[in-house]
Amino acid sequence: MTTSTVPAARAQAVWKVYGQGEAAVHALRGVSADFERGRYTAIMGPSGSGKSTLMHCLAGLDNVSSGEVYIGDTKVTGLSDSGLTKLRRDKVGFVFQQFNLLPTLTAEENILLPLAIAGRKADPDWYTTVIDTVGLGDRLRHRPSELSGGQQQRVACARALVSRPQVIFADEPTGNLDSRSGTDVLNFLRDSVRRHGQTIVMVTHDPNAASFADRVVFLADGQIVDELSEPTADGVLDRMKKLDQHQ
Amino acid sequence: MIKAMLRGLLAHKLRLLLSALAIVLGTAFMSAAFVGGDTISKGFNDMFSQINENLDVQVTGRSDVPGLPDGSQVVTAVVPEGVARSLSGVDGVAMATPQVASDGARVIDKNGKAVASTGPPRLGIGWPADPGGQPMVVMRDGEPPRAPNQVAISKNLADVTGYQIGSQIDVITLQPRQPFTVTGIVGVSQDRDSLGGETYVVFTEPRAQDLMLGRTGVYSNVDLTAQPGVSPEQLKDNVQRALGGGYEVLTAQETAVKQAGPIQTFLNVFKTALWIFGLLGLITGLFLIFNTFSMLVAQRTRELALYRSFGANKRQVLNSVLVESILLGLVSSTVGLGIGVGLGWLLKWALGAASGTPLPGTGIVLRPIVVVTTLLAGTLITMIAALLPAIRASRVAPLEAMREAAKPDKPLGRLTITGLVLLAAGIALLVLKGTDTVDNAVLTLGGGSLLTFLGAVLLAPALSRPVTRGIGKLVDWAVPGRLGVRNTGRNPRRTALTAAALMIGVTLATGAGVFASSVKSGVTELFRQDLNADLVLQADFAAGPTAGFDPAIEKQLKETPGVLAATAIRGDAVRMAGRDVFANSMDAEAAQTLFSVKPQAGEVRTLNPGEVILTGRFAEQTGLGVGASTTMATARGGSTELHVVGIIEPNQLVDEPIISAQDAAGFRSPLAQQAYVKVTDESQIGSVRNRLDTLVANNPEVSVASPADQLKQATSFLDLLLLILNFLLGLTILVAVLGVINTLLLSVFERTRELGMLRAVGMSRGRVGWMITVESVLISLFGALMGVVLGTGLGIALVTILGGQFLKLTIPWGYLVTTLVAAIIVGVLAALLPAARAARLNVLQAIAYE
Repeated sequence: MTTSTVPAARAQAVWKVYGQGEAAVHALRGVSADFERGRYTAIMGPSGSGKSTLMHCLAGLDNVSSGEVYIGDTKVTGLSDSGLTKLRRDKVGFVFQQFNLLPTLTAEENILLPLAIAGRKADPDWYTTVIDTVGLGDRLRHRPSELSGGQQQRVACARALVSRPQVIFADEPTGNLDSRSGTDVLNFLRDSVRRHGQTIVMVTHDPNAASFADRVVFLADGQIVDELSEPTADGVLDRMKKLDQHQ
Repeated sequence: MIKAMLRGLLAHKLRLLLSALAIVLGTAFMSAAFVGGDTISKGFNDMFSQINENLDVQVTGRSDVPGLPDGSQVVTAVVPEGVARSLSGVDGVAMATPQVASDGARVIDKNGKAVASTGPPRLGIGWPADPGGQPMVVMRDGEPPRAPNQVAISKNLADVTGYQIGSQIDVITLQPRQPFTVTGIVGVSQDRDSLGGETYVVFTEPRAQDLMLGRTGVYSNVDLTAQPGVSPEQLKDNVQRALGGGYEVLTAQETAVKQAGPIQTFLNVFKTALWIFGLLGLITGLFLIFNTFSMLVAQRTRELALYRSFGANKRQVLNSVLVESILLGLVSSTVGLGIGVGLGWLLKWALGAASGTPLPGTGIVLRPIVVVTTLLAGTLITMIAALLPAIRASRVAPLEAMREAAKPDKPLGRLTITGLVLLAAGIALLVLKGTDTVDNAVLTLGGGSLLTFLGAVLLAPALSRPVTRGIGKLVDWAVPGRLGVRNTGRNPRRTALTAAALMIGVTLATGAGVFASSVKSGVTELFRQDLNADLVLQADFAAGPTAGFDPAIEKQLKETPGVLAATAIRGDAVRMAGRDVFANSMDAEAAQTLFSVKPQAGEVRTLNPGEVILTGRFAEQTGLGVGASTTMATARGGSTELHVVGIIEPNQLVDEPIISAQDAAGFRSPLAQQAYVKVTDESQIGSVRNRLDTLVANNPEVSVASPADQLKQATSFLDLLLLILNFLLGLTILVAVLGVINTLLLSVFERTRELGMLRAVGMSRGRVGWMITVESVLISLFGALMGVVLGTGLGIALVTILGGQFLKLTIPWGYLVTTLVAAIIVGVLAALLPAARAARLNVLQAIAYE
């Protein structure tokens, strides 16, 4: 698997400040990071470290106070709202911790939603592949209220995968699931990266979840403080402990 | 805990505002009805008391003949001179002033037309011959009339016509137009131009007697003042004893009440109508409030569960929701009351400005019972609307609510079955009335309609999904449209409830529309079928009840070349065979050609004096057959004996007894009101019309028209009534639209996370707004559709039940389509605010919303 030279997502000296003057909160302080194509990267850190903020800024869901953000070749910072909307529609996929799905649509309709919004049809072969990968074949006609939490998250993953975005951002995708469902979801995500070259950036606080990634980036107090390639759950835990000691 | 909940309530100000607005509007209408009506009523009472402040007792003639149905003040019963003079000798009388006054003095303006009247009388009065007599009017300028060809006119008449002292004017009275010279301008007491818009032409007393009462030596009334120490009641007793039977004696107060009578009746109708529309507005608000509280309760389920989990019991939760509703109702009703008082004052002012005579008094009449009723109605309705959601709130099990479990759709079975039962019952009642099995109209028609409506409302949830899906097929080919359709079907109860509010107004408007168009069709068909006249001679609409033309014109009409048949019609209220009835003098033979009159028994021909032709119905009611005799008493002619020579079949155009021209001599007015002409050949209509124009050229109150013109007048009057009804119904529709906005706002709020998610996966702001718009239009259209179907059904039922030839069932398709299109437009407008809210959501905040 070759990685092209342009990263799937890039942050360049990103600052994010909330509030003003003395009450100002510096969520991100000059963060620069590249996220390679075809790789599964995890962003980890204690609560308040700014990991979710970083993801939101990368995905164009939030504005940066200074610095630049790129998705592939597209410069995200400075895009208008309709530009950001298009970006989210065509180039970015999302998996949130919960409430990913529209209750009035069936699983199948939810999966095809972003494509429908973009006015595109799914590639039939790819669609079948995705459905098989997440193992949802028999539940396609069901509404979210008729699916378990794990199944709902798998539908969310399928939705993110089907449109083949440049990068999928996942915010604590297994946070609300039991360990078995969670492991299933993480496996699907990793499969999509290994077998189909999808780029995934996942925010998590769970070392076990982080161990599924190819690389873990550690954030503390709004700055990148550490990195770990080919992580194991224990390795991640160790690094986290070291971070705590430094606090 | 109540404080905490109140704070929670205040946090959602906009929604509260919308709910409050509904109550405010409804109570404002209701209280305006009463305040306006009461204030105007008191104003008129005060005014009439003021008129009569210079007299204590009034004596007028008494008549056995019924008055004209429009309550005009043409005086026919008189007080002879001898009796009038004798009154000054009655015990306790300080002064007796005989007066001459009657409606029907029409001044010809500079354009040759009679000055019109749209209500108040055009009085012709006499200036008292006795120098000590108290005149009815006050000289403002110039001199009172001293010679038979002199008159004084009232200021408002002078203003309208531009006549001044010295002008030569013509006046029509019981006699055709006569020339006069204006010697003075008059007004009434307190420096007013008139009491209620009436005009005055003042003649010398003998001339007034002649022109207004028909002969000299009589008076219309005698005004008496009492000696000091004698009360009006005492004086009345004395006078009655002195006079015996034949005259009517009333105190000044009783006179004021009698004079105000027709106005009070009108005001009562006006008050009742406004009040009913106010109540309708409130009831529509009931739906809105129910919806609001349901949604507020649902949203605060977790909050309420929290209260329950740390010890608040069911009762407390129920009570606090009720308290919220009571407060909301009370505050809104008070605001509504305030606005209503203002509106009532405005009504009084508008009436004064429109008629040119402001009513006395500057205050308003606000009866305590009106305050209580308004506040009670508004608060009670709010409470009732909030009751069911409040009970549901108190039943929330704490843990269940905390868990944010997906709420399964509540089954609609029970609701639907109840709805079907009510609907069936309602239709059954209507059918019973239609087949005349049951006769009580209020029970069957009113009850049946109500039950049908309630049944439909209960069925609405079951219908909402299939119907909105059906309509939604037009837009569900794109994602926003599809989502909009799905969202509308999400909560059938809520959709149905919101739509039901709209249904009320639309049902009523549609039903009225069906009825009105059926009347128009019926009348039109009647005109086309039964009326065989080509030309009509009639008094102009604004010319008033005393207008007309010389009945002798009938002879000239018949002799006009080209005319096949003609008759003049002169009618009046009389007493015949012991019943109050309207009698018409006309050529019964011509009537067969002109009005399709058919004989049922005896002869139907031109009548001689002393003969009468009855309608079948009248003959049945009085038991009179051909050859029988009866008596007729007319306003000015005393009693006449009549023999029945014929009976006619039921006919919608000629529905009253027919007498000869000679027997009509005793009618109130010497003039005929209408004439109909049939032309031998259609090609001659134009020339005949020209000749008729010449015949009435001198008469400023009459013109030649075609039946088509008459028809147009009648239908445009109907259209005006319908317009007014629709305007009043506008209030209920407005409240219903507020309900739609409210529902959408709340639903947008509930779906904050969903909407955030939609934006996150790439739906643009515009498309989100479009989605909300689709939902709004679907709800509005659903409500309007149900209203149109129901209204048409009820309208058909009404027309079928009432029957009669004036009604021919016609469904106003154009009107129905317009209503549906209007519903779409309303839906789009109602969506503006919620759609803007939804589109403006900050994506990140929305997703993260807890």
